[in-house]
Amino acid sequence: MSKKKNKLLRVIISVALWLFAALWYAPIFWMFSTSLKESTTATSEYPPKWIPDNPTLDNYKRIFAPASGISVSKGIINSLIVSILGTLAGLVVAVPAAYALSRLKFKGKKVVFWSYVAVLAFPGIIFLIPHYFIIYRLGLMDTLAALILPGLGGTFGVFLLRQYMLGIPRELEDAAWIDGCSKLRFLVTIVVPYIKPAMIVLGLMSFLGYWNSFLWPLLVLSSPEKFTLPIALVRFNAGWGDPYRGIGTLMAGAFISVAPVLVIFIVFRKYLMQGIYLGSVGKE
Amino acid sequence: MAEKTDILMEKQLKKMRMKRILKRELGAWGFLLPHFFFFVLFIVIPVVYGFVMSFYRWSLLGTTRFVGLDNYVRIWNDSRFWQSVKNTVLFAIISIPLVMAVSMIFALLLKKKWYGKLWLLVAFVSPTFFSSVGVLTTWRWIFSSAPNGLLNYYLTKLGLLKQPISWFETPARAWACIIGVTVWWIIGFSILLYLGALQRIPPEQYEAAKIDGAGPWAQFIHITLPWMRNVLFFDVVRQVLLAFGLFDQVYFFTAGGPAGSTRTMVYYLYMVGFERQQLGRAAAISWYMFIIIFGFALINLFILTKSIRGAEGE
Repeated sequence: MSKKKNKLLRVIISVALWLFAALWYAPIFWMFSTSLKESTTATSEYPPKWIPDNPTLDNYKRIFAPASGISVSKGIINSLIVSILGTLAGLVVAVPAAYALSRLKFKGKKVVFWSYVAVLAFPGIIFLIPHYFIIYRLGLMDTLAALILPGLGGTFGVFLLRQYMLGIPRELEDAAWIDGCSKLRFLVTIVVPYIKPAMIVLGLMSFLGYWNSFLWPLLVLSSPEKFTLPIALVRFNAGWGDPYRGIGTLMAGAFISVAPVLVIFIVFRKYLMQGIYLGSVGKE
Repeated sequence: MAEKTDILMEKQLKKMRMKRILKRELGAWGFLLPHFFFFVLFIVIPVVYGFVMSFYRWSLLGTTRFVGLDNYVRIWNDSRFWQSVKNTVLFAIISIPLVMAVSMIFALLLKKKWYGKLWLLVAFVSPTFFSSVGVLTTWRWIFSSAPNGLLNYYLTKLGLLKQPISWFETPARAWACIIGVTVWWIIGFSILLYLGALQRIPPEQYEAAKIDGAGPWAQFIHITLPWMRNVLFFDVVRQVLLAFGLFDQVYFFTAGGPAGSTRTMVYYLYMVGFERQQLGRAAAISWYMFIIIFGFALINLFILTKSIRGAEGE
């Protein structure tokens, strides 16, 4: 009897939580709903309607037609290029570095390691102005490379991977030495598979970081064909009631910027949880 | 004679050892080098450069001139700077405890078994991972001052508002919007952190407390909080860095207005550095920010050091 009662209580509270979650997510629903309306309708209809009277995909068509000089589809492509290349390049440089700092002996290791750690405590804003100047001096202003390169020097990824690599059993390494395995082969065939979860977490965080980045691209990009999605959207938007670049189109663009993240989130949710464990390595 | 060969052999051995060490060193540095190159170029040099720049009148075009402490003095004497400091600190003081409390409530709720728990998690956590453009343009649309702006519409309908209002018109209202949206947006990461920590608390702890007759509140104070101390500490530091970096919300909602009342330190830096192209002075602002955040940076470093030592100390 009491078990049944418990179950009933659980159902009731679950439903209450669902309703609250739906309310919490209302902005996202509203974004999607508006994206299906003509801008003129969206700004003039009273009362505002959650389900559009005449849902239309025109807004999505409009942002993909580069008629206004700024192409959102180009923005998506640029964002993808930056996010994917940045993430891959980040892993390619961070994994060997983490390996060197966790498993190899060399002169200056301590100094390097502790300077890597010290940098983690620096607020990112310190780097903004100098990065801007360095990118300018390297002649990389208004290029996609300018969005990727500065991130490669970050030490968080190296640190995270290193902590994870410390868990590789010594015996595994000794066995590999006896087999005459080279360091590089050991790294590729044994270390990389072992740290795969950490790499996926880091990769996802890095991808999202590049995908969502706003202030930095806003500063270094100036020509429309280089714009990433967030910048294209901000620049694309004109008045709210504008039938071509108004709120409907803006919300369509916003939805497109959010949708892949939502999909990634749902697909990789297990790894995100794991990432939190990793991110708080030794935090207790 | 035998001694001589010994010496020779020793020399030979030494040479071989040197070679091996050299090879080892080169090998290890080979692994480190690709990352180290970018580390020097985009971390070490910028720190040094940023420091040097702050003593110059510096813009991309035009001449560069050494001005000593002039940048620092001018910023010190600029009332707009102090207003931005005040705004940022106030934002941190209000938003951080709020974000942490809300996250804690959600984490405690989501720890339990519910039907469709995964979808609850998605709803509360995913916004953290959405882009500022996606999130903030949508909220700006919700805050529309028109009668059919979503918030205006529901509040007038509920009778809480007599007529539609303009949400970013007064400082208090603008801040309420910024803080509200910030909470909505960023609690996700904290929820994940707290959930992770909650799951690591051994259940026996609670059972023992229950036997001792401790209520839910007492359990929370005497078991949950102490067990989460380190995660909470970590999160405070993270939140402080985040709060001092506040820019996007201001950029999208108010552009610092009304009358500079929502101008934050990063926004001030953005204005000086990029709207007025005074990079040297902007660099000086970032060092002021560094000093203000320094205490927290130290705490951050301390936690990291402790955790590294902990991981190695086995």
